[in-house]
Amino acid sequence: MDLFLQRLFDGLTNGSAYALIAVALVLIFKATTLVNFAQGEQAMLGAFIVLQLWNWGLPMWVAVLAGMLISGILAAGLERTFIRRFDPADHLPLVIITLGLFLVLNAVAAIVWRYDPLAFPQLFPHGSAITIGNARLSWYSIFAFGSCILVLLLLHVLLNRTKIGLSFRAVSSNLESSRLCGIKVGPTLQFGWALAAAAGTFGASIYAANPVLQIEPSIMLRALIFSITAAALGGLDSLWGALLGGLTIGFIQSVLVQYIPFIPNEMTLTATVVVLLIVLTLRPSGFLGTKAVERV
Amino acid sequence: MESRFTFTKGTPQYRNYRIGVWALIIAIFLLIGFAFVDVGSISIGSNKYNLSLIRLNKAIAYGVAILGLQVVIGYTGQIALGQSFFFGMGAYISAWLVAGHSWPFLLTFLVVVPSCFLVGMLCGLPALRIKGLYLALLTFGLAALFPTLVKLDSLYDYTGGANGKLTGYKFKAPSWLPLDEVAQGLQTIPLLGSFFGDGPLSSREESRLWKYILFAIVAGICFWLISNLIKSRPGRAMRAIRDNETSAAVSGINLAATKTISFGIASALGGIGGTIYVAEVGIASPDDFSSLVAIYLIVGLVVGGVGTLEGAIIGGLVYALIPDWASSTQSIAFVPERWLQGPTGSLILGILLIVLTLFMPGGIATAINKAKGRFVSIKAANSDKNPESVAQN
Repeated sequence: MDLFLQRLFDGLTNGSAYALIAVALVLIFKATTLVNFAQGEQAMLGAFIVLQLWNWGLPMWVAVLAGMLISGILAAGLERTFIRRFDPADHLPLVIITLGLFLVLNAVAAIVWRYDPLAFPQLFPHGSAITIGNARLSWYSIFAFGSCILVLLLLHVLLNRTKIGLSFRAVSSNLESSRLCGIKVGPTLQFGWALAAAAGTFGASIYAANPVLQIEPSIMLRALIFSITAAALGGLDSLWGALLGGLTIGFIQSVLVQYIPFIPNEMTLTATVVVLLIVLTLRPSGFLGTKAVERV
Repeated sequence: MESRFTFTKGTPQYRNYRIGVWALIIAIFLLIGFAFVDVGSISIGSNKYNLSLIRLNKAIAYGVAILGLQVVIGYTGQIALGQSFFFGMGAYISAWLVAGHSWPFLLTFLVVVPSCFLVGMLCGLPALRIKGLYLALLTFGLAALFPTLVKLDSLYDYTGGANGKLTGYKFKAPSWLPLDEVAQGLQTIPLLGSFFGDGPLSSREESRLWKYILFAIVAGICFWLISNLIKSRPGRAMRAIRDNETSAAVSGINLAATKTISFGIASALGGIGGTIYVAEVGIASPDDFSSLVAIYLIVGLVVGGVGTLEGAIIGGLVYALIPDWASSTQSIAFVPERWLQGPTGSLILGILLIVLTLFMPGGIATAINKAKGRFVSIKAANSDKNPESVAQN
């Protein structure tokens, strides 16, 4: 029982981190119907910026906020330079561009900060909050999950209660009509990219603040696959679906794979991809996504 | 117009032109082989750039894998990113057959091609429902999981786990092939002879040259088959799907069959590439088939030119040479050393990927064809009514 609880807690911890990156992916998908393969690397770069600012003496949380701001501005620039000039309906060049950004950002981070793992500031108090038997729920897990909920609530309010949120939703619902309504489509999408990058940076900072992890340029390579799966599971255009998907992936990793004897331990990635395959085949719109209706 | 050489299809001149071009290509190919069989590097400034046959053989392997991507991405328009999975699968199957069952390398194609074809078709089945980005996600996941799959303990006997699988196979040039005599003959050419090394070929050099020729023949067969495929009915069906899926379906094309077959062919080519790779390297190790390899193959595809066959060759060369050259560049004026020691190759490939997509969507192959169109124009057989000259494809 203790073991089961412990695994549930582990799943919660990982799931929250995946959910935060998945939220970033969902934001970009909502805006441009594009899966940003560079999202993980953008988030990693953002976390490195946070680390650098912290090393320069800024208080922890100020560094996180400043890092989010900087990576948001960078992402807005990337969108303006590389993404906007392409037809959003033609996926191939966009996928290729994001793959190129993936390589470039990863290489730049590795050149600037090298491959040595670095300690990330501990954003949350140490130790375990709740101990049930031998199972420990650390403060880190609680805060990670809590900040995930907080980010989603903030985004929810931003998208549903503000003017820019309204135009963002209009653009993601119908690009042509919103252009006719006088919404400035370009800047709105740019805003979406900036928002996504900020959310991603926050997610990567939370992820790297895990006491058992250190930050290095390849930190997001594995997490990206899990986050992509999480986003697809929840439905690529649903924010709360990202949370649901992230937690599902976290629990699959920590609970399901551990309890099914014929799946070896190292197979978490495989299990994730198989789940992705099943979900996409049976229910392409995920748990909470909007079903796409195609006019022929 | 007058400054161009004009050939009309179907005339003897055109045939001679084709034969001449191909003879030139084969001659250059062989001369490169003999020239770099022993030296294997060129120096620019203080940096040495590796151009050994090992690199070129890898380029052939990557080229065949990229040819597979051409079929599925370039001609069928399905965004499949998981070529490294099949590349690795082919490599591991060959390594296992050669090391465990002492098959000769060429025979392993008999197993690699059908098995990769079938697995590729199976992966293509969801593609009938999953389109565009979802397919990209799924195939990217496939590429990511391959290394963990072959590192599994339960497969240790077949894959050799994290250490990789040695093939322990030596290629031996057949005795009837006059490699040594040709090399000696080339060395006697005045002035240029010194480029071709000194004295008789050692047995290692001979086997290296043999591998180079052998792999090129295998790759050549693949390219010939695919170039026929895309000109044939199924190939036109693929291109119709790429250009407009709905209208292709309306014209009576069986979408499901065409897509799955195109996936199968792409995967089989990936497997062939993997076999060539492992035949060259001699070991199949998990990290040679990571998801980064899948992205690099995409780089090769884009830089060479999406939807062109020559693009696959150029892409293979780009992938095999640029990261290697970047890491062997130790000093360039005005560039801080820090930028040369890290993953510079990855940086350059990423920049190439972005820059070419932005400014040269057709890749290098299209640019070369355009340049060639300035000097040579090929006319269709009845070109009197249709004076438009078309650059030769």
